[in-house]
Amino acid sequence: MGWGSFSLTNTFFAFSFKQLDKIFFYHLLIFLALGLMISHLMREIIIRAAILQKNLRRQSFLFVGLTLIMALLASYFKLETVEQLEILTSKDAQLLHRPDFSYWINKMVLVLSGGFSYFILFFIWNLIYFMFHYVTKSQKQQMDTLRLESLVKELELQTIKAHINPHFIFNSLNSIRALVDENPQRARRAVTELSNILRSSMHAEKAETVTLERELNIVKDYLALENMRFEDRLKVVYEIDEDTLDQPVPPMMLQTLVENAIKHGISKQIHGGIVKLISVFKDGYHELVVQNTGQLNGRVNAEGFGLSSTTNRLGLLYGSKAKFDIRQINGSLVEARVQIPVEDV
Amino acid sequence: MKAIIIDDERLARAELKKLLLDYPEVEVVDEAANAEEGLAKIELQQPDLIFLDIQMPGKTGFDMLAQLEKAPHVIFTTAYDEFALKAFEVNALDYLVKPIEPKRLADAVQKLNASEIRDSRPDIISTNNSLLTENDQVFVKDGERCWFVKLNEIRLFESVGNYAKVFFGANKPLILKSLNALEERLDEKTFFRANRKHIVNLRMIDKIEPYFNGGLLLELKGGEKIEVSRRQTVKFKEMMSL
Repeated sequence: MGWGSFSLTNTFFAFSFKQLDKIFFYHLLIFLALGLMISHLMREIIIRAAILQKNLRRQSFLFVGLTLIMALLASYFKLETVEQLEILTSKDAQLLHRPDFSYWINKMVLVLSGGFSYFILFFIWNLIYFMFHYVTKSQKQQMDTLRLESLVKELELQTIKAHINPHFIFNSLNSIRALVDENPQRARRAVTELSNILRSSMHAEKAETVTLERELNIVKDYLALENMRFEDRLKVVYEIDEDTLDQPVPPMMLQTLVENAIKHGISKQIHGGIVKLISVFKDGYHELVVQNTGQLNGRVNAEGFGLSSTTNRLGLLYGSKAKFDIRQINGSLVEARVQIPVEDV
Repeated sequence: MKAIIIDDERLARAELKKLLLDYPEVEVVDEAANAEEGLAKIELQQPDLIFLDIQMPGKTGFDMLAQLEKAPHVIFTTAYDEFALKAFEVNALDYLVKPIEPKRLADAVQKLNASEIRDSRPDIISTNNSLLTENDQVFVKDGERCWFVKLNEIRLFESVGNYAKVFFGANKPLILKSLNALEERLDEKTFFRANRKHIVNLRMIDKIEPYFNGGLLLELKGGEKIEVSRRQTVKFKEMMSL
């Protein structure tokens, strides 16, 4: 497009100055072809060298340098082609064969003078190219920020809602009612456990992180209640390194993983199974692992609340430094693992 | 009235049993902790009523019901709320949310007593054979949608490969039963094999017209037109003249 309009204007000017002849068209054609080729080459270099990703000062420096080199290159090739085809303009031919200088110096002068017009053109071309990319990039950035903001809001809402699963509350209350006659002591304890969970879930969304110890208290209450429901169908094992108890963790994250382990694991097993919680330091990470009896069946629902909220929350808090994965570790165990980078104090 | 409680939580079963002590007419004869156990106990005890939890390990309560030839009275017990239950689109659903409110249980039992008296007569006649009577209900599950259907509401069974399409009201879900198997279990006084592909409910016939080759064309109340094969036409006329 750009090159087309350039040649049109040029033709128009040449026409007005009555210089329209065969040689002019050859020149224009070569000029155009080279311009097209070089500008595409330039674009390729910009993309390959990821110049757009560099900082502004280096970008403008590289930008001018690249334009200069490319302009000289184009000019040299043009002169060479024109010379080979023997269609030099009379003016250029005279210059090239000036007697008082050597052939190569004359050629250099010609390349430089031709390079000047290329330089101007490439400069404009590049300017437009860079501008275009700047505008789209800043637009994209704006969009990303907006999306992130809405994601955060959505997450906040979801966490508030999902913290306590009503199904769980009613099932627990039902068990407690049965226990009132059967085992009043256990019933009393269950009421305390349930209150703890309800209270902590109300406070959870206020803090960015809590200590593992606090989070673990909720999880223990939760599992105690589930144990009351599932009785001998649920076996809970804790493997907690005491030193990790002070580590900060996103509130209700471990809880969500444990809930998932019950919901997708234990509650689907006729004979129940185990839930194992592990918290250790490993290779500079604080590693939180929830293992449960069950089958992944190859279908991990990444859209489901548990997994997506865990991934999103870790992403928001630690960027790409924290890791989360879920996998089948043997025939009957599923493992969800979170690795949080340990901050140096 | 013999009842079975099917729920995977022992405490939930214990609590319900305790609540049912106030209703001597409901006798809890057995309990089961999952769908498989439930199917076996239903087979064994032939209860009039089951209290059924929906979420259970292995199979859901709905899946279990769909496996039964004939569904007894069912009261669902679940921790889901009414809104969540609507997702299952079960019609005529009698359910109690856990923890069960004694007043709601009283209502459910009373409703049951009323329907038991109404249905009791035809039941007495057919108790000895295994035929399904008009007042028996079947549980039909098609994907996420479930229905309790009384046999007298069904107009037509249509064979579709190994499945049978059941026509009732505005619905026609598929069930995994062959037409021949159905024919064996259905009362031939009401359900008539019109041709290779169809069993019609004789009480649902709207119009009868003569058809090619001495056959008949039946128009059902739902507007479906069913051809009666020549061989079956003879039998049909015989039955109708009786």
